[in-house]
Amino acid sequence: MKPKADRTLDCLGLYCPEPVFKTRMELDEMKVGEILEVVADDPAAEEDIKSLVRNLEQEIVDETKEGNTVRFLIKKVK
Amino acid sequence: MSARKKILYIQTSGVDAPERTYAPFILATTAAMMNIDATIYFLIKGITLVKKGEAEKIKLGSFPSLKEVMDQAVKAGVKLVVCEQSCQLLGIPRGEFTPEAKIVGAATLNDLALNADAVLCF
Repeated sequence: MKPKADRTLDCLGLYCPEPVFKTRMELDEMKVGEILEVVADDPAAEEDIKSLVRNLEQEIVDETKEGNTVRFLIKKVK
Repeated sequence: MSARKKILYIQTSGVDAPERTYAPFILATTAAMMNIDATIYFLIKGITLVKKGEAEKIKLGSFPSLKEVMDQAVKAGVKLVVCEQSCQLLGIPRGEFTPEAKIVGAATLNDLALNADAVLCF
């Protein structure tokens, strides 16, 4: 069963680097243990979000792709 | 926690090549978002971008003005440094730069490059 998101960030229609900026800002507002869902259709976002999360030492707990849309569940672990 | 990585961006293109001016600010802001320390060193014609009033004049396509992109970078914690010798080369006095840009010398550039994990030039 997939973890449940505590909040969702809609990045549909946004281009690089906006999804990265918005994801970072959203994570900053969250409490440790919460899960953020990020939905994006910018082709750059798929790798960029992973890179952001890796550098921030947070955790991607789920990733799905449907057509051009990627959906990440990111857990704030620290 | 692991030590923060550092990227140094060296900007040599200036107001006469506006298409080459956005990249360092956008990359450096993104680096800051990734918890990477980012510094932009303005060298040779690059210093014209941080001369007061110049960034406002640059706006390409659907992009915001360069001034907006620069302000966003500063807000994210990107450091801006200006080459002293380049100021003399182009005859721009010290007081004519945006207050966020610190004037530094050649030794500082060498030191920044040695201490960075990566150096990118534009």
